[in-house]
Amino acid sequence: MGKSSSHHFVLHCKKGTMKKVLFAALCLVYLELSMRVVSAPICSYGQAGCHVPSLADLFERVIQQSSRMHSVSSDLHSEFEQYFFPSKNIMGKRKCHTYDILTPQDKENAQRLGREQLTEVIVTLLRAWGEPLSELHQSMSQDQHQDFNIYSSNKALEISDIVHELKDGVKIITDKMRLMGVLSNTVGYNSPESLVPSSAFYTQGDLDSMDHHDLLYCFRRDSNKVKNYLRVLKCTTLPELGC
Amino acid sequence: MMKNVMEVLFLLMLLFTVHAKEKSYNPPEKPALTRCRSPEKETFTCWWEPGSDGGLPTTYALYYRKENSETVYECPDYHTAGENSCFFNKNDTSIWVNYNISVVAANALGRAFSDPVDIDVVYIVKPNPPEKLKVAVMEDKGWPFLRVSWEPPHKADTRSGWITLIYELRVRLEEEDDWEMHLAGQQKMFNIFSLRSGGKYLVEVRCKPDHGFWSEWSSTSYINVPDYFPREKSMWILVAAFSAFIFLILTWLLHMNTHRLKHCILPPVPGPKIKGFDKQLLKNGKSDEFFSALVVPNFPEASPSKYEDMLVVEFFEVKEQELMLEESNDLLDGGLKYESSRSDSDSGRGSCDSHTLLLDKCREAKEERQTNRDGSLIEKQIRQKDRKEEAISPDISSGRVKTWPSLYSPLPQYGSNPLDKQSSLEMAKQHSLSISSFLTQPGTKDALGLSYMDFCLSNKQNHVHPQTQVQTRSNVNISNIGHKHAPAGLHSPTTQYVEVQRVNKEDMVLLQPVLSRCGLIEDCPHLPKGEDYSKVKGVDYDNRLLLQREGTGEDMCSGMDQETNGERGNCYTTSTVSIMQKPTACIYTVMPIQEGMALTLNGYVDTANMGNLPSC
Repeated sequence: MGKSSSHHFVLHCKKGTMKKVLFAALCLVYLELSMRVVSAPICSYGQAGCHVPSLADLFERVIQQSSRMHSVSSDLHSEFEQYFFPSKNIMGKRKCHTYDILTPQDKENAQRLGREQLTEVIVTLLRAWGEPLSELHQSMSQDQHQDFNIYSSNKALEISDIVHELKDGVKIITDKMRLMGVLSNTVGYNSPESLVPSSAFYTQGDLDSMDHHDLLYCFRRDSNKVKNYLRVLKCTTLPELGC
Repeated sequence: MMKNVMEVLFLLMLLFTVHAKEKSYNPPEKPALTRCRSPEKETFTCWWEPGSDGGLPTTYALYYRKENSETVYECPDYHTAGENSCFFNKNDTSIWVNYNISVVAANALGRAFSDPVDIDVVYIVKPNPPEKLKVAVMEDKGWPFLRVSWEPPHKADTRSGWITLIYELRVRLEEEDDWEMHLAGQQKMFNIFSLRSGGKYLVEVRCKPDHGFWSEWSSTSYINVPDYFPREKSMWILVAAFSAFIFLILTWLLHMNTHRLKHCILPPVPGPKIKGFDKQLLKNGKSDEFFSALVVPNFPEASPSKYEDMLVVEFFEVKEQELMLEESNDLLDGGLKYESSRSDSDSGRGSCDSHTLLLDKCREAKEERQTNRDGSLIEKQIRQKDRKEEAISPDISSGRVKTWPSLYSPLPQYGSNPLDKQSSLEMAKQHSLSISSFLTQPGTKDALGLSYMDFCLSNKQNHVHPQTQVQTRSNVNISNIGHKHAPAGLHSPTTQYVEVQRVNKEDMVLLQPVLSRCGLIEDCPHLPKGEDYSKVKGVDYDNRLLLQREGTGEDMCSGMDQETNGERGNCYTTSTVSIMQKPTACIYTVMPIQEGMALTLNGYVDTANMGNLPSC
């Protein structure tokens, strides 16, 4: 008698939990659908039915992403250094492949550059790093130092994605600024693809860990530049935001 | 002479070299660059630590190379930043450029190069502390809070977005040591809640670029929080409410346990015990032993009674069969504590309630008088039993006074033979015996009264051997009784019930037959209530049972004994005559109560059970 009752109880319990799970699932589905219905998609040109973010929002988003990009690359670089080069020997004679991209080296130069050129610099930098980062990610995931690279290859992938998003984001911003009349139309992306160096700059063959290190070092710096330039751009374009 | 000079010179030179070796001059030790810092990402400073200078004046020089350039520059400014430092101004500072810096120490004997250091200015930023820290007390719905505000260090250009700072502040009370940290992010204002009333607070703030070093803490700002009443008031309200709650709980507990406390503080008076009453003996069935045990020496006191002229029964001899006693004991044990019997409202119960009566006649009257629930239950029981018993109760032969109502016993299954009962009844129960004479004139109180008197008088000498005496008498008399009292409705016309009327001062028990017409006959509805019975009023100091009559109206019994003058049932009998005339009689009995006294559950004394009753 006792056993059968316990069996009954268990069955009943299971049924009960199944019902609960089903109910919860239905709830979630409903919520998600309802939320989808409620929120409007974001678009930059103000087409019907979408919510147009303001320039401030766009800048905010872009700056957040650049900040994230820099911190990930910084972490990756310091991990790399600890793992492979404990002697803290930063690159000596080697150059970054973006060395010939003229970038302002101090505040006055950056302010003197103007919005258009600053935007151009940013875009150029971002475009310069698209390919090398994906190669870095590929190379890292294939590397025999599995214990280190499993963790860091994900980060490299993340960096690569962010850079890609940032490119799009900055483009949207420039379009919007042009629309607003803040940016003159004379600015174009006049750095042809051919001028953009690739990772071939670093090595002819496959990238090894030394190349990884150099790449990371260079990218850390360039991401910081991008972040800084974006902030300067935002604060000169929208001073009322209280930089 | 030349030789002497030469020797002196040689000696001097030796001395000189020896002396020179004690203070050796060395080339300088390697200096070390300790740190480089930039306060606003526009200039920076490097400091070094000099090594030993080797005893000679040593100069230090800082040289640097920029990234991807072979040109070596020297430090432009050694003085702005103090001793052993190099200050790079805006023109010389390039961000995102790798500097290779080293320091050279040089003295007369040589040079020493420090280890080179590579720095990128963007990663060595340590700003100045925030400035213009302001703290103010503000109020939010009666609760104060601190509003802290500050400004970034004036050198850091956050306005153009060149540098982005995040802030952190810390607060503590003046008397405490631990700081409370708050991260404020990029905002330049912060609110602090949960303040102590009347406290003095210290506030400090610092800042950091998103990748860089924390600044030093700013100068401390002091603030006094004023005393605010609401908090304290609410605290007192809380305290008061809590204590009131505790008080209520305590009161409730006390109330719930009053009885127990009463028992503790004022212990109850123990119930009466009949001396010599031995339950075991009784159960063993040896009645002789039992009754002998009951006999108390020097008893009764030979004190003359005031009411000697009254007919009194000298004493009762209770000779009961075991059944009766058991029953009575059971009844007694059945929870009738003495004190409760006091409270047990015997009041209102008439003589009908006495177990010496046939009860069904008096049922109505009785029920009205029932005030005690327990008593009523038992009464009903008794009545039921009575009914039962009535059937089997034997007709006492004429002259037998059935003073013992088998009726009243609630435990009829003792298997007692009614006949046996009777036989035992006849025996000592013969207080009735005294009634004997009395009962010769049944139905008349006068006769009763006379009988009493006779009995009393006659028995005065007889208390030595009460039993036998009584017996003999009773036998004779009882037979008379049976005749007389045969009112209609009686089941056994030959039986006669006797009740204790009263007890006089000399501890004599006055008996009367319970044949008050009104008590027994249906057609006497005007029977005053609560008169024909003896009710235990209390126990006096000498372990004597005080009975009282509960009565109203015309029945007046003289309050013979002081003990019986109580709150209720003050009966005064003016004369025996009056007693006799009345259908009901006032009954007082004072008799010693010994262990196992047959108190009925409703507090009535079964006269049949009496033993060692006082004699007149």
